[in-house]
Amino acid sequence: MKRQSFKWILLLFSVALFLIAPILLLIPRPAKQSDPWSNLPTRPIHTNHADLIKGEFADGSAVTRRCLECHEDAAVQIMKTSHWTWESEPVSIMGHPKPVILGKKNAINNFCIGITSNWPPCTACHAGYGWADNSFDFGNHENVDCLVCHDGSGQYVKGNAGYPAEGVDLVAAARSVKIATRDNCGGCHFRGGGGDAVKHGDLDGSLYFPSERIDVHMGKHNFICTDCHVTRNHDIKGRSISVSFHAQNQVYCTDCHDKNLHADERITAHVSTVACQTCHIPEAALKEATKMHWDWSAAGQDLPEDTHEYLKIKGRFVYAKNIQPEYFWYNGSATHYILGDKIDPDEPTMLNPPNGDINDRNARIFPFKVHTAKQIFDAQYNYLLVPKTYGKGGFWTEFDWNQAAKLGSADTGLPYSGHFGFVSTVMFWPITHMVATKEKALQCIDCHSDTQKSRMDWTALGYDGDPMFRGGRKTSKL
Amino acid sequence: MMKRYNLLFPVLLGAILFAQCLFAQPQSMHPAFPLLDGNGKNVLQSAQPVSTMLTCGNCHDTRYIESHSGHVAFGLFPLNTQDSTASPQHWNRTLYNLLTMNMKNPATGSVANQLMSYGARHVGGGMAVYSSTGQRLDNIPAQTDNPETSYWDMNAGQIAAWNWRESGVVEMNCFICHIPVIDNQARQAELAAGRFAWANTATLARAGIVNKTAVGFAYNKTSFLADGSVDPDKIRISDPGNDNCGSCHGIVHNAATDILISPGCNAAQWATETTGQIISPQKIAVSGMNLVNKNDLTRSWDIHAERLVECVDCHHSANNPAYYQESASSKPQHLNFDARKMSIQEYLYRPSHQFVRGQSWQLSTSTQTANTMRRCESCHNAESTHAWLPYKNRHFNALACESCHIPKLYSPTRRLVDWTVINDHGQPRTECRSIDGKFGSLSTPIYGYEPVLLGRIEPDGRQRLAPYNIISLWYWVHGAPEQPVTLAMLQQVYYPNGSPANNVLASLDANQNGALDDDELCLDTPAKIDLVANKLAALGLNSPRIKSVLAPFAIHHNVAGREWVTRNCESCHSNQSLITRPFLLANNYPHNVQPDLITTGILDMNGSLQSQEGGLVFKPSARAAGFYILGHDRVNGVQIAGAALFILVLLGISAHGLLRYIASRKLLKTKEKTKQVYMYTAYERIWHWLQALAIIGLIFTGLIIHSPSVFGVLSFSYAIYLHNVLALILLVNAFLSAFYHFASGKIKMFLPEPEGFFSQAIDQMLYYLSGIFKGAPHPFEKTHDKKLNPLQKLTYLVILNILLPVQIITGILIWGAQHWPTIAAKLGGLLFLVPFHSLVAWFFAAFLILHIYLTTTGHTATSSIKAMISGWEEIKKS
Repeated sequence: MKRQSFKWILLLFSVALFLIAPILLLIPRPAKQSDPWSNLPTRPIHTNHADLIKGEFADGSAVTRRCLECHEDAAVQIMKTSHWTWESEPVSIMGHPKPVILGKKNAINNFCIGITSNWPPCTACHAGYGWADNSFDFGNHENVDCLVCHDGSGQYVKGNAGYPAEGVDLVAAARSVKIATRDNCGGCHFRGGGGDAVKHGDLDGSLYFPSERIDVHMGKHNFICTDCHVTRNHDIKGRSISVSFHAQNQVYCTDCHDKNLHADERITAHVSTVACQTCHIPEAALKEATKMHWDWSAAGQDLPEDTHEYLKIKGRFVYAKNIQPEYFWYNGSATHYILGDKIDPDEPTMLNPPNGDINDRNARIFPFKVHTAKQIFDAQYNYLLVPKTYGKGGFWTEFDWNQAAKLGSADTGLPYSGHFGFVSTVMFWPITHMVATKEKALQCIDCHSDTQKSRMDWTALGYDGDPMFRGGRKTSKL
Repeated sequence: MMKRYNLLFPVLLGAILFAQCLFAQPQSMHPAFPLLDGNGKNVLQSAQPVSTMLTCGNCHDTRYIESHSGHVAFGLFPLNTQDSTASPQHWNRTLYNLLTMNMKNPATGSVANQLMSYGARHVGGGMAVYSSTGQRLDNIPAQTDNPETSYWDMNAGQIAAWNWRESGVVEMNCFICHIPVIDNQARQAELAAGRFAWANTATLARAGIVNKTAVGFAYNKTSFLADGSVDPDKIRISDPGNDNCGSCHGIVHNAATDILISPGCNAAQWATETTGQIISPQKIAVSGMNLVNKNDLTRSWDIHAERLVECVDCHHSANNPAYYQESASSKPQHLNFDARKMSIQEYLYRPSHQFVRGQSWQLSTSTQTANTMRRCESCHNAESTHAWLPYKNRHFNALACESCHIPKLYSPTRRLVDWTVINDHGQPRTECRSIDGKFGSLSTPIYGYEPVLLGRIEPDGRQRLAPYNIISLWYWVHGAPEQPVTLAMLQQVYYPNGSPANNVLASLDANQNGALDDDELCLDTPAKIDLVANKLAALGLNSPRIKSVLAPFAIHHNVAGREWVTRNCESCHSNQSLITRPFLLANNYPHNVQPDLITTGILDMNGSLQSQEGGLVFKPSARAAGFYILGHDRVNGVQIAGAALFILVLLGISAHGLLRYIASRKLLKTKEKTKQVYMYTAYERIWHWLQALAIIGLIFTGLIIHSPSVFGVLSFSYAIYLHNVLALILLVNAFLSAFYHFASGKIKMFLPEPEGFFSQAIDQMLYYLSGIFKGAPHPFEKTHDKKLNPLQKLTYLVILNILLPVQIITGILIWGAQHWPTIAAKLGGLLFLVPFHSLVAWFFAAFLILHIYLTTTGHTATSSIKAMISGWEEIKKS
């Protein structure tokens, strides 16, 4: 009987094999689809620190000392990053004999212009304590501010020179630490330029609790910043051409999304020339108006004040909401105005023009918020100046440009002729957040229509005309 | 560094600071030209209306253009011909004009009246300029008895002479199609007022070239150059854009930003009125229309508009050298492409204004331009994009692309026009699709509607299902041959003195408010019909009666993107198949008057009219159209016969088994001597069980395919897939086993031995009928080489020689209908093959249970099954 039961199984097995094998062999398989979720980093499991941290803290550095007791390498790690140094590795660029070190530390922008001589209010966003002048000690571990990124109490705010603002409960903050959330990053990055929504156009307070309409990742899928800005050993991925030359360590859509995910071949054909952002961010500054123009030359007058139109200390502004970006070739790097570069006062000065053109194979058409300004320059030496605005003798208290230029130049070390004027400058802010749902992505007609305003200025981009009819970029002229 | 900036400046500056001004639209290539009047003088001097024929005729052959234009030829109807007065077999423009124009009778219909009423839909030229004898209308004497020179004066209520010299004629209007900013409103106003000569000039008003004055139009000097030409920037002559076409054909909305708001269902936008098509690149969700679940409608109104395919890209001029392609049938075999093209110069001199188009039921007999257009498949490679679709060729042969790719339309659309009643504005009663509630209110929710699929003979001669809207129409006719009762006559019946006639009011005014409300206007009882018929008879009309016709309008536009397309198998292959879903023709209609279904020309409405909740619906039948839809269609006779056979067998074996059970209890249980015989080799057992499982699987999946709504434990497409693979397994297995039996000679055991076969068969039958109950021995001993008794041999002879081959062949043909449709068609098509296949399946099912039952008739109830498992059977020792 034993032999028989064995045969039973053999028979069953062979019949099943003949039956199932062809079924499995011939079954139509759905095309393989990429899964963007699989590329997301795992968020670390939260350890409640409430019971680990006791006692009073005299100041921020005291908290840092407590943190470093366990997280021994944290300060060392932070001190290697641009969140601490506010500068980059030296880069050799044309026109400068020595490699240039660029960063928030010394970059000139066309908002508050530069931090030199104006440290305290600017360094309120430095991940450290006490950067009030040139003498700040970048080597002291105790100067690292852990709480600005890890506070979970929601009441930790930094004041001048990055010190905790008055009234902050350091114990509560220390006991609440966790991984950085949108609140922590947003505290500085949503408020670039000195207020909510001022600088970027695609980063503002609407992203603290965004709806799907504002940003599909953070709204619909509840992303936090570090889901894309992947962080290892306190080194946070991502950079912006407002303060840097290069694209190293940049975050890309394709970090998670397949480059060839569009079902439509026509769209796939766009991917090598058009950045994802171009179609998927049709508009920026969706909820809060962002600054589009800043006229410093109008400052100092006693005119009616309005945060979005005129302030005596800052001048005249233009704000706009739901802005349609402007489009330029961009290969990820930018040319930068370096302190001391000569300018042509009759032409607008590009402070950070994106690099790339139609012949640059690495460049793609990318959306930018373009911020224009009139800012102070040395009318004799023809270069931009960093005026002292904040503090004793600064423009914000004295309303004296000459003195502000003199004091500022004393700190930058750049000679000041005593003659100043105002010159037009342009800054380019890549639009990369506020990604819309796929239904709202741009359609053919937005760029390829002659019956209505096309978003693309094809001839300015270097095409012979609309590439839908003229063909895309070619290696040779047809 | 600075050099770099200098290089960047020209590019970036232009872009950033002056982008808006520097890059305006490219200017028209068209040279500046003067506007000439009818005498060839510059209008700036004469202040007369523009003559397009002379103005454009300076460079283009306008007479050629006018005589090669469907738009000129189709616009007006010829008068006093057989066609115009007799009520035609199906709905057409002539009938429409007769019913809607305020004329006393058709004979008085004049060119002037037509131009005033419907000139807005005509491009001018042709009959709006020339008499039937070929003279210009403004050159022939005005006579009241000639419909070309007379008109029906509504105010006077009589026929009067029409002074063409004063009104001027309507030349072919080049502007309405060839300039981007047109003033169609001003043009229509001139036409309606009978100031025909100014109509074309009025078209230039919005472009700022002319201004309206008390007597006509004055030319705006600032829009002209010093040499007397029009400023080319003002007039911007170009090829027609979507807006130009949309000024007559339907709603065209070219702006992605301005939101689209339209009540639809408007006679002035006929393509939207008749089909619901809206040509717009805008996402439906973005539009301003009150659509139900609008937020989910993230598709555009029309994917071609979204992708910047313009009307004239498909409906191009027949001799446009950029688009014209010689058809495969007319071009010589040795050439793939004829490089000799008409020169652009020659084309621009004489551009044919016959625009290529598809076919339509209404115009199928009257024009040579039908089917001149490229079709979906001329541009789209369906072969490569439908890899996911099982049986794609079968689907391509049965369905027009539009059937799946235009699943739904979202504009209110005409459902019905009932001219048997008119309201106090002289308008017939109408119904609209897509909405539920009051038409015209922007707060009325719009649901959209799904078109009905009708069998249409396509240019390749194949009949395919294609989407349509059907408008149902009711109107009075009288006399013999029948003539339509005109609007003027109905006015006399319903509103003889401007207010409702008393007895009409008494009969129709249900809420007794003294007026005829929209929902009261319907002759839905015999009494109401009689009342109006009698009143029409009193006006001298001979036997007035209500006639009803259906007007089908094909839907080709508003194609949806791929995610929006019908692609679930169950959408069609189920009980709720969209192919046969009822299509509402009327909520309310004149009592007992129903239209005939259309069976002429390229269309065949297969199905039936049914009353449903007081309304009238068309219930399509795919089977009547020659399609057998798996999962939806079934032939009841086959199912009843098959089920009856199955139940009979089931009853038979149940009764037999019961009797055996009863008999076995009476029999003496004696221990019989048995022996183990090696009955089935391993291969035979594998072969048997594989075939058994395959057949069970085939019956199971077949049931799902047959009726997914009842047996749908697997998806339809998966069931089909399994069915096909199981059939393949069965086929290969059958082939191998046939080889085995032939090669080993074992085939002999299946063959009846001629000698004594019948008496042996009768012995076996007697055993089953009586011996088995008495414990009699089997009449034939089962051995390894002779396993089958005569009845089994007979059964297997039938199964292996008839049922199995038939089932395999029909199955292959059904599967192969996509590859060799002609072979399947010769054998009756799916209409025959599928029911036949399912009938044979019933035989297999019946055999299956009989076979299983008979295995219990061995030495013991399970000995045969055990043998088929182990190979060793216990049989009685003889």
